[in-house]
Amino acid sequence: MHRTLRPFELLEPATLGESLDLLERHHGRARVLAGGIDLVAKMRRWQLAPECVVSLRRIPGLERLTVDQGGSLEMGPLVSLRAVERSASVQEGWPVLHESVQQIASVQVKTMGTVIGNLCVATPASDVAVALYVLDARLTLMGPKGERILPIEEFFVPVASSVLEGDEIVTQVTVGPLARHTGTAFQKLAHTKACIAKVNVAALVTREHGVCSMVRIALGAVGSVVIRARQAEAVLAGQPPDPKLIAEAADVAASESQPQDDLRSSAAYRRRMVRVLVDRAVTEAARTGWKER
Amino acid sequence: MRKESAIFHVNGHTYEVLVEANLTLLELLRDRLGMTGTKQGCAASGNCGACTVLLDGRPTLSCLTLAWTARETPILTIEGLATAEGLHPLQQAFLDCGAVQCGFCTPGMILSAKALLDENPDPNEEEVRAALAGNLCRCTGYVKIVDAVLAAARTLRIGGER
Repeated sequence: MHRTLRPFELLEPATLGESLDLLERHHGRARVLAGGIDLVAKMRRWQLAPECVVSLRRIPGLERLTVDQGGSLEMGPLVSLRAVERSASVQEGWPVLHESVQQIASVQVKTMGTVIGNLCVATPASDVAVALYVLDARLTLMGPKGERILPIEEFFVPVASSVLEGDEIVTQVTVGPLARHTGTAFQKLAHTKACIAKVNVAALVTREHGVCSMVRIALGAVGSVVIRARQAEAVLAGQPPDPKLIAEAADVAASESQPQDDLRSSAAYRRRMVRVLVDRAVTEAARTGWKER
Repeated sequence: MRKESAIFHVNGHTYEVLVEANLTLLELLRDRLGMTGTKQGCAASGNCGACTVLLDGRPTLSCLTLAWTARETPILTIEGLATAEGLHPLQQAFLDCGAVQCGFCTPGMILSAKALLDENPDPNEEEVRAALAGNLCRCTGYVKIVDAVLAAARTLRIGGER
């Protein structure tokens, strides 16, 4: 049901510092507006009715998407999903992030929605979050007490939540360069292309001397947060990525998942699909990883 | 609730409107400016694309945009496409190809298509489908819509105005 938004005060700070001051002053009663895809939709359903909305949209420079001298990708709070999808450096350097965004269907959602906004929504089904898990992304949070930098895994907490305080803003996502001989893959299963994932999986495999020197597997929509399938990763670590071993790792990943029944899928089906998607993702990552990067 | 005066640039015209913070761009266009070409389709969930307008050239869901944040920014709605000389090639192609059924999704479809053709004058069918993926047609007449966008692209390349 669509409704007129409940009244609120719209604040448009000119700098990040000013927005932090506003959040501190209105602690607990304010929400941050970036793209609005999640926030405004929830406000229209009256799921949220904040007293204040602090818009970041008029702050210059927040749409920066850059690769620094050390080869790390840095994304500011207003970097849209569309900007990530169209970035040649992301496609070249972090293809799994590109793929995770590319399969989001709606151009409008990608144009308005931001990477950081997507993470702040903290849904365990986030395609972008799953990709950023295997890339070991770091999030920079700024608040009244200063800055803290967290690995993405420490940002999310059960259930479908994050450690972000009401007076903090995620100001940057940073992703280091992929190591040589590293391949990645993203797999998603959903009702239609436009739907939220029943299961999504990202994998990263680094191969050295014929064996997997590093494996990361992330599972989305099968737990109260995105899950790193560490036991499955351990099955492959130091081993050649042969199909039998990948299948075994996929089985272990399925047992590590903690799916639930909901309107999109059943727990049993999700667990079986974790095995299928992990098998596909790791196989693809191991294959692409063999190419020189 | 405080009302503030803001300047909106819609279809090349400038409007000064008293707006409240909780007014969406869709409500501004339809209820304050009387431009009802932009539609409310889904339950403001960003799923249907019927409310799509071009904000600074970018396809934007007006139902999820706070009007105030769109002030002083070029806004293009379906009402702004035709000129004194006639329909925009996209509009003409939609008519010629039979791409309009009930018509409810058409304004959003055409604006998404315009955003595509503005940056890619020669898209293939797959690119057209990707560009329109955020616009639902409940009549499910997608084939002719895609045909129309490809036809309009040809017309525009031959030398029609955009």
